[in-house]
Amino acid sequence: MIHITQLNKVFRTELIETQALHNINLSVAEGEFVALTGPSGSGKSTLLNILGTLESYDSGDYQLDGQSVTGMTDSALSALRNEKIGFIFQSFNLIKDFSIYDNIELPLRYRGFSAAERKQRVEQALERVGLAGRRSYLPGQLSGGQQQRVAIARALAGSPRILLADEPTGNLDSLMARQVMELLEQLNREGCTILMVTHDPEQARRAGRHVQIVDGMLSDATVYQPLVAQAVNQ
Amino acid sequence: MRNFSYYLRLSLHNIKRAPLPYALTLVILSIGLGVFFSNATLYYWMNRDPLPEQSHTLFFPRINAVEQACDSCLTPLRVLSYKDVQKLSNSAIPSAQAGMFQSGGYARLPNTQNGPTPVSIRVTQRDFFELFNAPFLHGQTWADNDARMELILHYNAALKFFGRTDVLGQQLLLDGELYTIVGVLDNWQMLPKLYDVNNGLAITPVEEIYLPWETAYNLGIKSNSTTQSRDSRNYNENFAVNGREGEFYQAQFWVKLDTPAQQDAYRQFMDNLVASEKEAGRHPRPNGNLLHNMLDIAEAFNERNRQLDAFAVVSVLFLLVCLFNASHLSLNRYMASQFEFSLRRALGASRLQLQGQLLTDVLVNGVLAFVLALLFAVLMLLLINQLLPATSALNNWQPGLILLMFGVALLASYLVTLYPAWRASYSPLNQQLKA
Repeated sequence: MIHITQLNKVFRTELIETQALHNINLSVAEGEFVALTGPSGSGKSTLLNILGTLESYDSGDYQLDGQSVTGMTDSALSALRNEKIGFIFQSFNLIKDFSIYDNIELPLRYRGFSAAERKQRVEQALERVGLAGRRSYLPGQLSGGQQQRVAIARALAGSPRILLADEPTGNLDSLMARQVMELLEQLNREGCTILMVTHDPEQARRAGRHVQIVDGMLSDATVYQPLVAQAVNQ
Repeated sequence: MRNFSYYLRLSLHNIKRAPLPYALTLVILSIGLGVFFSNATLYYWMNRDPLPEQSHTLFFPRINAVEQACDSCLTPLRVLSYKDVQKLSNSAIPSAQAGMFQSGGYARLPNTQNGPTPVSIRVTQRDFFELFNAPFLHGQTWADNDARMELILHYNAALKFFGRTDVLGQQLLLDGELYTIVGVLDNWQMLPKLYDVNNGLAITPVEEIYLPWETAYNLGIKSNSTTQSRDSRNYNENFAVNGREGEFYQAQFWVKLDTPAQQDAYRQFMDNLVASEKEAGRHPRPNGNLLHNMLDIAEAFNERNRQLDAFAVVSVLFLLVCLFNASHLSLNRYMASQFEFSLRRALGASRLQLQGQLLTDVLVNGVLAFVLALLFAVLMLLLINQLLPATSALNNWQPGLILLMFGVALLASYLVTLYPAWRASYSPLNQQLKA
């Protein structure tokens, strides 16, 4: 599903250069649930942004669903994001004065779906996250956990090939965080590929695979070691 | 179309989000456009071609025929004498020609107790109406250029005196003389009135009554605008003789020269005329013949309205200031929406799709600014008409002018939206979406 090789990213200012990512190699297979952890400033959000094509990289190659992203035009990248990637952000990133329905429908608007298909997809996504009765609510009328479920519904509505989640429970209390994690796990069981950035070791353990990044480099010790196997060893 | 209706809803939604900053932006833009529109309206009327179908064939000949010698006097007077008109009328080259001047008088219906009413008069010859495409509603022009007690009325004058237009054969008293009406013009106007640009008359309405040239000389009727006498005759006495024989300059003279060959031939005719006059011991001044096309006449007589030109420059500068300020306010609005731009981009909107949204914003802003600017423009025109009463005939809008103003409003809206929207849509996506 995802295949990146020798990927480098440098942030430059007038005074300094910072190597944010250094020779990253990572593959994520279809149906995997991968947790990406690391200390603050280690480069995990940068990596996630690059995987989501929200940010460019300096060298290396990135293939998503068999398609190389390198050198793609802006409109091709937009279409790629729209069709193949579902984003779940830490701060939900819902438009406050749009209804839940309108928020979920937003990416479908840019896909060229008919009104009937958009409606069907939004209804299905709302059913999936358990918010079918809240379609006309505004985000501010929902709890944080519910808002994140709306964000997940928005990510799911376009039937993406992969969900990229950036600390999806970072702004939630433990109860809501657990509910959101359960929802992600359920989606993964249904076949959804997920790559999640998290600080929380507990949540990382619940993912199918745990990848750690430190100082812009993936840690060899944890790469490609499914947590299920780790648990058996322990 | 489906996208357009969505973009339209978003534009209106964005307005509702921050109505006050939006209203402020719109008002600033509309004031700038309103001032610009009002001035553009005046400028359009002042500088338009009033007879596009034949203005290129209409010419005003001037000869330097003043009878006092003056070697340094190279430029002819801007008005002609009766004799000048007579001499120039001898050419058969023009397909139409007419001498003329403006006058005024008091008219009333005979056999009524109503008091006389002031009227504007154009003293002219039979070809006047052909020269300037003045259409007849009833009757026709005079049979020839001889003196006759016959009038032609403008549509408005017919309604003013008779309450109707079909008044052929009716009589009217003008300054105590009884005339028979032989023609009624349709509701005709010519703006700018380029056949008489003396004393800034180019923007006044056309005259109400048309009086035969020879009749006016017989009755001692003179111009009420520019007149010059260059000899010692008493022009208040026996004008029928003095006005015709003396050096009394008051007339315009227009000829219709349909082809360049005719124009060249007419120039040659003027040169020959001056040469023969000199041979006869007249025309002591240098040959200063001029043949002005109608569209050049205001410039040639230095009768362009410089105040309007100055207003035009000021209004353009004012519009630029308003655009700058509106753009600044617009930038604040769009920067506040930067998160939403980034989110839409992250969720798959291409820059082209965002441009579609921005162009819809431009359209909505343009339409609203246009409507509001028209209101401001009406107010500005009223103010300008008060300050410059001569401009009162120039304050209406034709469809072409309105379309042009709408185009300017859209362009202004685009300029105000362009930079802010560009800034907002090109910001790094990841920065806006990070918690």
